[in-house]
Amino acid sequence: MNQRFFSRRELLWKAGGGIGGLALSNLMSGASVSPLAPKAGHFPAKAKSIISIFCYGGVSHMDTFDPKPMLKKRAGETIPGKTIVPSQGTPGGLMPALWEFKKYGQCGMDVSDLFPHVAQRVDDIAFIRSMHCISNDHAPALYQMNTGSIQTGYPSLGSWVTYGLGTENQSLPAFVVFTDPRGGPIGGAPNWGNGFMPASYQATPFRPTGDPIVDLKPPEGMTPERQRKWLDFMGKLNEEHWKKNPHDSELAARIESYELAFRMQTSAVEAVDVDKETAATRKMYGLDENITEYFGRQCLMARRLVERGVRMVQIYSGGGNFGESWDAHWDLKENHGQHCAETDKPIAGLLSDLKSRGLLDQTLVIWHGEFGRMPISQRMSGRDHNPQGFTVWMAGGGVKGGTCVGATDEYGLEAVEKPQKVNDLHATILHLMGFDHTRLTYLHNGRYMRLTDVEGEVIKEIVA
Amino acid sequence: MTYLRLGLVLALAVVCAHAQQNNDRHSIGVKASQIIAANCVGCHGAPIKNAGLDLRKRDTILKGGERGAAVSPGNPELSRIYRQVAHLDAPHMPPGKKLSEEEIQTLKTWIERGVPYEDILDQKEEEARAALAKLEDRPITPAERKWWAFQKVVRPAGMKSIDEFLLDTMRKKGLTPSPAADKRALARRAYLDLTGLPPTIAQLKEFVDDQRPDAYNRLVDKLLDSPHYGERWARHWLDLVRFSDSGGFEYDRERDNAWRYRDYVIRAFNSDKPYDRFLKEQLAGDELYPNSVEARVATGFLRLGVENNIRTEQTRMDELDDIVVTTANSLLGVTVGCARCHNHKFDPIPQKDYYRMQAVFFGTKAEERPLVSDEELKKHKDAVKAIEELQRPIRKEMRAVEQPTRDKIIAKRKSELPDYMRLALATPLEKRTDGQKLNANQVEKTLENIREEDLIAEMPLAARAKRDLLQSQIDDLDRQKPRLDTVMAIMENSKDAPASYFLHRGNIGQKGSKMAPGVLSAATDGEWSFPAPPADAKSSFRRAGFAEWITSPDNPLTARVMVNRIWQNHFGEGIVRTPSNFGKMGERPSHPELLDYLASEFVQSGWSVKHVQRLIMKSAAYQMASDDIEANIKIDADNRFVWRMARRRVEGEVIRDAVLATAGTLDGTVGGPAVYPYIDPALFQSSSKRTWNGKAVNDPSTYRRSVYVFSKRTIPLPMLETFDRPDTMSSCARRNRSTIAPQALILMNNEFIGIQAKHFAQRLEREAGPDTTAQVKLAYELALSREPKADELAKAIGFIQSYPQGLVDFSHALFNINEFVYIP
Repeated sequence: MNQRFFSRRELLWKAGGGIGGLALSNLMSGASVSPLAPKAGHFPAKAKSIISIFCYGGVSHMDTFDPKPMLKKRAGETIPGKTIVPSQGTPGGLMPALWEFKKYGQCGMDVSDLFPHVAQRVDDIAFIRSMHCISNDHAPALYQMNTGSIQTGYPSLGSWVTYGLGTENQSLPAFVVFTDPRGGPIGGAPNWGNGFMPASYQATPFRPTGDPIVDLKPPEGMTPERQRKWLDFMGKLNEEHWKKNPHDSELAARIESYELAFRMQTSAVEAVDVDKETAATRKMYGLDENITEYFGRQCLMARRLVERGVRMVQIYSGGGNFGESWDAHWDLKENHGQHCAETDKPIAGLLSDLKSRGLLDQTLVIWHGEFGRMPISQRMSGRDHNPQGFTVWMAGGGVKGGTCVGATDEYGLEAVEKPQKVNDLHATILHLMGFDHTRLTYLHNGRYMRLTDVEGEVIKEIVA
Repeated sequence: MTYLRLGLVLALAVVCAHAQQNNDRHSIGVKASQIIAANCVGCHGAPIKNAGLDLRKRDTILKGGERGAAVSPGNPELSRIYRQVAHLDAPHMPPGKKLSEEEIQTLKTWIERGVPYEDILDQKEEEARAALAKLEDRPITPAERKWWAFQKVVRPAGMKSIDEFLLDTMRKKGLTPSPAADKRALARRAYLDLTGLPPTIAQLKEFVDDQRPDAYNRLVDKLLDSPHYGERWARHWLDLVRFSDSGGFEYDRERDNAWRYRDYVIRAFNSDKPYDRFLKEQLAGDELYPNSVEARVATGFLRLGVENNIRTEQTRMDELDDIVVTTANSLLGVTVGCARCHNHKFDPIPQKDYYRMQAVFFGTKAEERPLVSDEELKKHKDAVKAIEELQRPIRKEMRAVEQPTRDKIIAKRKSELPDYMRLALATPLEKRTDGQKLNANQVEKTLENIREEDLIAEMPLAARAKRDLLQSQIDDLDRQKPRLDTVMAIMENSKDAPASYFLHRGNIGQKGSKMAPGVLSAATDGEWSFPAPPADAKSSFRRAGFAEWITSPDNPLTARVMVNRIWQNHFGEGIVRTPSNFGKMGERPSHPELLDYLASEFVQSGWSVKHVQRLIMKSAAYQMASDDIEANIKIDADNRFVWRMARRRVEGEVIRDAVLATAGTLDGTVGGPAVYPYIDPALFQSSSKRTWNGKAVNDPSTYRRSVYVFSKRTIPLPMLETFDRPDTMSSCARRNRSTIAPQALILMNNEFIGIQAKHFAQRLEREAGPDTTAQVKLAYELALSREPKADELAKAIGFIQSYPQGLVDFSHALFNINEFVYIP
């Protein structure tokens, strides 16, 4: 959860409103500086926020953004000199892409028929076709994508960014996560956890319907007036205790946190109220169609949140296990068909909407899974996990659109040209957010820890 | 002729020029290989190849490593080797030094000329090993041994009590000690510190009314004897050893016997088990106390880390890393994690120490050890087998019921296959290509394998009903299988531990020398000698040797680290404020002599934790008030020199327990299997298995103390998580203490807290009657261990009477105010 008590400026702003008679000057003298107060990075950067779209389960790159005509040419055959050992089941021969590719945009980028809407935005997108990661297993691979380590216990990207930059809106969480209605990703909360950092830097899970945050809504029968009265009474009781120790900023901070919680009850609800958007905007995100409604709503909420100064929003597509996620061990056609149909239009809508509002420059949009998939068939009609090569893309936030870096081999099995590690991706994201990844450190158990551990190189080719 | 001659001369000249050029090429190649042999192949050759790069041969240089080609022939600016030795790109090479300008220039020319190379021949295996062993050595200098934490504990002469040490420093700094706390505040402090629960009204009254001069000392002794003392202090230990009831990672499997370790720790604190014995049991209980069930449970300590369902050499190394790092961190107060890949950058902890400590644990294996005799175990196995025999024919019958549907599904799936797969099946076995063999095999295997839900969906109703019936018979029999109580323990297979190695850069592909077990070199005078295992031993006794070293009275770290932790949990901060880092990156002790005094008291008392606590609790320092003193603030605002008692916000567990105790709903049962309180499903749907067997939010069986709440790694209880529960992934010596709005939201809006507020209000009405004044007075006693002041009383009465839900909201308010969550 996020630390969200007032910044000094906000304290002045709300000086009139019910902090139960506490003398403001006293509060200021012992004032605590919120760990989430806005801070500058190492150098100026265009990107201010991140929207991360995580296709949990692993997306097949050769069926989406990395065309491999050789698979069609040699369907059912083996790769000479290669023996592929799958994570489960028995290996098959090469399996062609199940969708056709076309060229799009001024850059002439190849995109398959799975992403017809995203295809229209390729001139804003930089593709990395040579990502590779360590683990062949969902949870560690998810952890690596999110925290840089296949182990648990490390802070996620969003924690690092909010630790480094704070947040622009102290009435909303700094880091928000939306999960899929079918369930969250394997590995659970550590995916957006704060690891060894204080709880202030962990993500707050938002629900796309009903109250966005658990415990946000006052108990049955508690009206705002009654709650205000109650808080004022508590303020009086706290005042007695605090008067004896006016230098204790922790006590002051705790009093402040109640005022913030009180305001969040309305600000968080307002921030995700997509009914305030025009019909045209809602349509752009696919809110008018059943299949895109859920994910589209999350994308639209993400835009509203970054617009209000939230530092990072992460949205998971796919949840639970196997078919519920992108994990197409069986029927790839149905699996990816379904997940792309759910997300293609909302993602394209998000990119267009951000651009038309002038927000795309300051919002870094990242799209990826935890690994790619194999060029050979699995269980006749599916594909197995493949950590050795896959595609990731980024848009906005200082990214050079219409570019593509790196390549997998002619079958899509391994990253061979300009292979990029997850640390490189993280170094690049931090660079785009204004950080030298080697200098963004946090002292833990005697060691200065980094998101990129001891590695990572900025992928310069995709930085505008 | 002439022309011919001229031609010959010319030709010769061309040949000579070529020869000259070749010669140049050759000589630059030789020079380059000399530079590389001297500076690079130690890490990029045999037997180790960092970053997968082997610089001994031209073809492997061109092939490159993980980062692709190491050189681009003819083009130094595009060559990683050149860019990194010239420090144009990070990481600079070789690490820690820069080649001479001349050498860099030579390598540049070498690349420009197309990378001619004189392959570096392999050294003899032994020579290479010897060179490697030298590389692995990192001697410790006498100066490094002088670091304060590596010196033996010396009992300071002259001083006799905690207060003398503290007063001495205060005098020197010009600080005035705070006056004594009032009796009620002191009682609340002692109760919360030692039991984690606020005093009941009777307990409070008993102490306040006790006018004997040693009333407070009696209270301390009484609290140390309380069964709730162990619950409170076990929690501190459980933080340290990253205890959890589940395995984390992909499946986060529940460890339904982990609670036995938790109860072991509670019992150990309650019985004041000597700390040396406590550690020996946890590290080597199986070796040192083979007949003790208790010691077997204790070895669960080595099983508490996360558990990766993928079992590879790499994941085993990660598991061992977790054990080595946690052991060093929690028991010795040193950080060794960095030494997995390189010598510690700040402390004299060589990488070799790490791998020698890893060797201590290398042979361990997880064991679910039955808590019954061998004879009973056999009976149990027989019983299970008998039931499985009964299940077998039922399974066979079920299969027969399913068969027609299976056949139908298989036929349908076959018809949907792509052409190349059907062709593979249609091709006779001996004529199939490699790809067709794979595909045909895959199709056959896959078709056999039909998911249960797909099968059931396709079955005719009658068959489905039959199948359900058979399934329920199987399930019934499953339920009849007897349960076996087990403990999470550790074992080894043999007295010869398997070989383990120094891993260069922590990489399993780069094994260096074979490692013998060892301890921290900087903290020992010489080598620590490990005992030989007894002749009939089934384990290596390396852990026994290691445990003997850790608990030896000469060990400079163990006692200091533990008394510092005890101090921290009484005063909010340790004497060393980085409790798990006594190295250079940690803080120096504020009172080094006091630390040594306590450490020597600890060892001399027979490692009695309660003895140290008595010294602390009975000191005047502990009994000081916690309020600020203006004059002192100017000198030491941080209270580093302990001129007042620390005000401490209690942990989430204590808040929850205090809410239950105050509301009068706490179930104080000590020990036993964990409980599952209610969690909003929206919060755990993100776990892979989404299993949280939560009871109803108002189920009193969940109103147990928080130490008994099932601690699931991926589904933490939100109330505890929000208040900085440790993440249970690594050792936590000091909790983060953040103040965030979601904490307020929980205490304001959460249903469980609301229910307890109502219970509290009902209790006030029940016990104080209808009079609001009496209700407020009782509420203050219960929630804050004091009487309300006159104006507080007036404000509270005014509030309660101002609207119908006044009493409930008042009760609820007390759970939220600062005073409720701070130790006075």
